Formats: sequence, C-alpha cells, structure tokens
Amino acid sequence: MERTIDSQNFNSRTVFQFLLNWAAVLALLVCVLIFTTMLGKAFFSGPNLVNILRSMAITTIFAIAATVTMAPDGFDMSSCTLASFSAYIFVSMYLWYGMSLGMAIIVCILFTMVFYLVTLFLILVCKIPDMLATCALMFIHQGLGLWYTGGGAVSAGMSLPNGNPPARRGLSDAFMSIGQAPMIIIIMLACVAVAHVFLTYTKHGRYLYAMGGNRTAAKLSGINVTKYRFLAGMITAIFIAIGAIVVASRNTAAQIVGCDNYLMPSLAAVFVGLSVGGAKKPNAFGTLIGAGLVSVLENGLMMCSVPYYILPAVKGAVLTLALIAAYASKKEY
Amino acid sequence: MERYTLECQHVSMSFPGVKALNNVDFTVRTGEIHALVGANGAGKSTLMKVLAGANPGYTGDLFLNGKKISIRNPFAAKHAGVQIVFQEVDTALIPSLSVAENIMLNDMIMNMGHQQLVHWSRIRSEAQKVLDRLNIQLDVRKKVADLSLAQKQMVLIARAIQSSCKFLLLDEPTAPLSDNETKDLFNLVLTLKRTEDIAIIFITHRIYEVLKICESYTAMRNGEIVGNFPITNDTSVKEIVEQMLGRSFEESFSKTPVEIGEKVFEVNHLTEKENKVRDVSLYVRKGEVVGIAGLVGAGKSELCKTIFGALKKKEGSIIYKGKELTIRTPSDAVKQNIALVPEERRKEGVLVQESVDFNLSASCLNDFCYFSFVNKKKITRNAQMFIDKLGIKTPSTSQKTAFLSGGNQQKVVIGKWLSAHCSVYIFDEPTKGVDVGAKKEIFKLINNIAAEGNSVLYATCENSEILAITDRIYVMFGGEIMAELETKKTNDKEIMYYSVGGRKPAGQQ
Repeated sequence: MERTIDSQNFNSRTVFQFLLNWAAVLALLVCVLIFTTMLGKAFFSGPNLVNILRSMAITTIFAIAATVTMAPDGFDMSSCTLASFSAYIFVSMYLWYGMSLGMAIIVCILFTMVFYLVTLFLILVCKIPDMLATCALMFIHQGLGLWYTGGGAVSAGMSLPNGNPPARRGLSDAFMSIGQAPMIIIIMLACVAVAHVFLTYTKHGRYLYAMGGNRTAAKLSGINVTKYRFLAGMITAIFIAIGAIVVASRNTAAQIVGCDNYLMPSLAAVFVGLSVGGAKKPNAFGTLIGAGLVSVLENGLMMCSVPYYILPAVKGAVLTLALIAAYASKKEY
Repeated sequence: MERYTLECQHVSMSFPGVKALNNVDFTVRTGEIHALVGANGAGKSTLMKVLAGANPGYTGDLFLNGKKISIRNPFAAKHAGVQIVFQEVDTALIPSLSVAENIMLNDMIMNMGHQQLVHWSRIRSEAQKVLDRLNIQLDVRKKVADLSLAQKQMVLIARAIQSSCKFLLLDEPTAPLSDNETKDLFNLVLTLKRTEDIAIIFITHRIYEVLKICESYTAMRNGEIVGNFPITNDTSVKEIVEQMLGRSFEESFSKTPVEIGEKVFEVNHLTEKENKVRDVSLYVRKGEVVGIAGLVGAGKSELCKTIFGALKKKEGSIIYKGKELTIRTPSDAVKQNIALVPEERRKEGVLVQESVDFNLSASCLNDFCYFSFVNKKKITRNAQMFIDKLGIKTPSTSQKTAFLSGGNQQKVVIGKWLSAHCSVYIFDEPTKGVDVGAKKEIFKLINNIAAEGNSVLYATCENSEILAITDRIYVMFGGEIMAELETKKTNDKEIMYYSVGGRKPAGQQ
C-alpha cells in the first residue's frame, strides 16, 4: 500500500483513519451503551461485568493462540479440535490415572505440543498450505480423540473404556477453581500479557511480524523463516493446551468436542483486533478487544431474551464485518 | 498468394514518467522473417504489445494492407491476423488440459457459438492436422504439464497457426531453449515461412541467431526506430550491436580510486540446481567493486541469489578468506557476513509495513537485544545514525517504510546490511526505479563500502553504470560467464558484444 500524504485531504483522512483504527473499540463502547440504556442495571453492573469477563476468557485464550499463528501469516483451523483432544487427555490423566493436578496440566501441555508437531510437519515439511493442512487435521483430531475416550465424554464417576474403575471418583476444588472467576480471568489476562510482551518486545516476535509482512524479504534479510514458523507453532500449542485445561475445568468434564465451537468466535476476535490502534496485524491487545466485543454482544442479546440458537449468526456477522474491514480496503497489486 | 502488409505510422506509447515508444514507423510483410533488436528498455516489447492489442493506450495509426485499423484489444489483434507467443509460455497455457485442447483453445472459446457440447474427435483431429502441417511430433492427448519447455512453445505456435495467422510475433523464443531445441525451432520457423507464407517477427537478444535465420532487421533505441537493414552475408554481430547502442552514454559519476588488496571472496564452479547459473567462477579482491554485466535474463539475479543461498546450488564452492563457507539458506549467508540488496526492492528488500528503525536493524536484531528483549532506544539510535550517514529522507525513525521514496527505501536496505557489519555486499540492480540524484548517492555509498575494505559484487543490465562504478567486469549470457574485462580497458560495445552471446575471437583468451 502506497499512500502519499496530501495536505488537502490530510484532515478528513486522519479523522477517517482514526475512526478506522479504533472502530473495534468504538463498536464495543456503542454496544455497552445500547445494552445499558435497554437493560439498565441488569447489564451494567459489577457482577455482570465479571460474567462477561468469564465468558470471554476461553474465547480470548484460543484467540491468542490464533494470534501467534497468524502473526507470521500462518493459519490454524484445527486449534480447537486439538484442544478438545487435549481436554480428554487432561481430564483422563486426572480422573482415570490419578495424576496430581499439576502433573495432569504438564502432561496436557506436552501432549498438545507433541501433537502440534504433526501440524507443523504437514505445513513445513510437506509444504501444504496452512488452511488445507489444518482442515484435514480437524477430522483427525476429532476421530483420534473419541477413539481415546471410547466414544464418550470424560467425566467424574465414569469408568475407563476398558471397564476398569477410575483412580479418582471426583474433581477437587482446585481443579474446578481454574474455570471459575477470578482464576479464569487472571489466566486470560496473563495469556494476553505474555503474548503481547512476546510479540511486541522480543526479537522473536518482531521476526514473526516481519515474516507476516513479507516472507521473501524476511528470508532475504537472513531470518530463518522455517525455524520461526516452528516456534510460532509451538507457542500456539501451549496456548491451545491452556485453553483446553480451562474449558475442561469450567465444564467439570471433558465433553465430546467440548472446545470445537470456540474456533469461530476466536477467529472473529483476531480479525476484529487486526486494525485496533492501526496495528494492521494480529496483536494481543486487539484480540482482547475483539473477544470482548463478541462476548458483550452475546451477553447483552441473551439478556434481551434473544433465543440462544440465533447467537451463532450474530458471531458470524461480527466475523464477516471484521473480514470486510480487513480485506475491502486492500488494494490490488 | 496474396501478400499482407502491417504498417505502424507515428505510433507512440507513454507510461507514467517514460515515453516507451516515440513516433515509431514500422512495416512488416508476409513471407519474411524479420528481427527486432535493441538493448533493454529500447521499446521492442512495447511495440509488439501494441500490435498484439495488449497496449490499448497507444497513439498513432495502424494499417493492414493500407486500410486503417485499430487494435485496442487482443481480440482485434487476432481479427487482424496478429498472433503473439510471449516469452513466458506458461502464462498462456493451461497445464491441466491436453495438448489438443490447448491448441484449439481459441477455437473452443470464440467459435463455439450456441453449441454446448465439446466435439472431442473433431478437436483432436484438427489439432493433429495443425501439428502435421508444422511437422511436429507430439501426442495430442498428452497433458501440457508433462511437456518440455520447447514443446510447450511449439504448442503455442501451433495454436497461433490454427487460428488464421498472418503475422506471428515471437518474443525471445530462444532464451530458455538448449542449442538442439533452438535448431528445431529454427526449422519450424523456416517451415512456417515456406508453407504458410506468413510474416514472422523475431525479438531476440541473441544477435548471432538473427544472422542465421532472419532476412532483415529493425534496430530500436530508447523507444525510437534506428533503421531497417537487410541482412546479407556481410552483416556482422558487431555492426548490429553498433546500431543497437549508437552513441555511448556519459555517466556523471566519477569513482574515487580505492586501494585494492588481496583476493578475499571466491566463487568456484557454481551451478544452480535448475541450471539457471552454470559453472560460474569469479573472485573479488578487498576494496574491489566487481560488476556482473549481461542483459535481462542472463542469469545475473540468479547468480546473486545462488551465492546468497536463496536459490539451491547443485555444485561449486564459495570461499571467504581461504575458508570454504557452507551456505544453504540466506540465514547462513548473513551469519557469514554476506549481504544481498535484491532486485525487487518492495517485494524482497524492505519490510514495507514495518518502521524505518526496525528495517535498519532487521538483519542484526541480536545486537540490540537484552536477553531476547528488544531495546527500542538502541534501535532508534542505530537508525538515527544511518539516517544521518546515508542521508535517508524520512520524517522520523518510526515512519513506515512504505511511505518513503524508492531511493530512500533502497538506502534503508543498504543501511540494514551496514548495521550488520557485512563484509561482502552483493547488489542486484540497486538503481532500478530510483531517480538520478538518488542513483548518484547510492553509487557514492557503494564506493564508500569498497573503500572501507569490503568486497562488492554489482549486477546490472545498465552498462553505463557498470562502467562507472566497477573495477572489473564479468559478462554473463545464458547463465554462464562469457568474459572477464578490465573496466578501464573496455567499453560499452565490448560488453554488449559478449552480452548478446558473442564469442571471444580465437587465440585471445
């Protein structure tokens, strides 16, 4: 994109640019304003704010995973199906095999990272475009995950697929507290902060953005693009595992395809966040705003007694609008 | 048989900032093989595109047999009987379809009318008929993706002949072909002339081919026609080169002499994986600027990229100060302090979406980090230093590079390598798209880089630049080095002679 600053149009253009850069934040404020006037205290109150933060936490964590992948111009459609699989592993390690909570968390993160190597193998070694490789992997994750659990959810009181009794009868308070406020909100904010620092202040993050901007130029500047795409994948895997743990704790079980539905809102969050502050690239802060927008809409519409089954259409509309904002202004090369 | 004449009168064509064609008169008759020669940017391709309807913005008049016609789109060109085969054959073919479909493509698109079904046996038999007419052995059921480059070219020529063709334009047809394939193509062209009685216009840089096959030639220079000349047994490569070049260029830049040291950088028998660079050996001494001359497509960029690890090498070694370097990726090259300023600045050189200061530190971010954390202050200081040193015109260090002018972007690319303390600098067409003033400053920079004891390789197709900035010159043609010349003892004509495939006279090695 080449633009020369023309003094005549300077003012109107800067205003327009300002509006465009902060459109997501403005939309968020407008939503809050509308819902507050319609619903009053029921919407604009401390408890409901916590409500909203809690419901956006999971979306945000998956969206942060997507942000790290998309920074070097990658893409992952299979992140949430992998998360479902990781959740089975997490809960089964805890319930079936009686591991301590900390151990189960570590196993879950390691499992996700190891399994993510398959994704990276397809993308980096087999050179399949990200979108197609992860599209195929979605089905592999779903099938293998259910094969592992024996076709059912992993929850307290159920026996193993081979009929053996589980090592633990129920979930501890510590296990459940991960998915409740304030813990879940703290985890979300920590993920956002870590991703923000990594992407903005470390050289690794800058390299990822350089690759996202122009992979050829980055490569010819001496950046090892394969290594950094791999690094981005591994970090994404860690965030996916964290997401899986939080979802399992919140549902007090690893439900069948329990995480799959977070893909769409998390992508919506990243695309809404693209333009925040004029960043024009996937960024952690923007992603947080995006997830907030999706959650406020969801929460407010629910309170206005809009039927829950229409909500996917609303989330889809947010994603579509964000995509229009991201692509419609692109100039043809 | 009826003769057709295609005539251009006072044809001009302007692109933003350049007059690509200036009042051109050009005539071609069926039954002759005519060559169009000229240096890079002389306007050959522009003129051909006008005739093929790909340059609708031309001014002036076109006449077919004395009758005024207008060719503003490819359809009108085909209607007038003008067919063009572009150099990049792959852009005109559909690889997943068969030879028959590709040959009959025009017919299948334009002459189907309301007919909905494809008549397979007719398509195949007609395609076969065309191939027979041209004496080409090729299975019409084969997929185009499985053909060799030469065969693809033949398919395109067959397609052109299939739809009433009177004027066949071949743009650099022999550039990618081997000697044997070239011979086959020449036979085909001669057959065409004999049996079809059409005009064939040959654009080529390989002057000795012109002598072999063409009956007359038109030389172009700076968008103008120099003249029409018949080719007789007495016509020589030298004579044609002189027509192409005319007066010699005067470059306003004068190089300050630099003391030249020992041999530091060597490339031995380098061959690129797909043979785009073949058996290239060269060396650069300390403080020396070595030019790589040659026309577009001679393999200069490919040579630069192979040295830098951006293209895979098949054989050969790269030696710095007596030590052999292992370079598999650009990342390896940078670690060995080799820098490349690539030709496609916006696509390969700068990160246009990033700020000036980030671009200036992109190759050595490690130096500005404290435990992987980027130290913004150091980066800004570094950027400010190079902005001052190189005279980069930017409002601030945090300006997005996209908003800088071409010359300033190029300075950013050079600055990026200077801050990485490289010792071997490879420049690939660094002055492309920068204005004269910036060009001079870039020359000065390169001169300074050499004066600081670094080694510089400078690849360009502009001979005047090569003569102004370098100490020694290698001339490339078809991926190989044709000659090594001392800048002080050579001139434009000699470089051009080797650039077009001229051989060294016997006994002078």
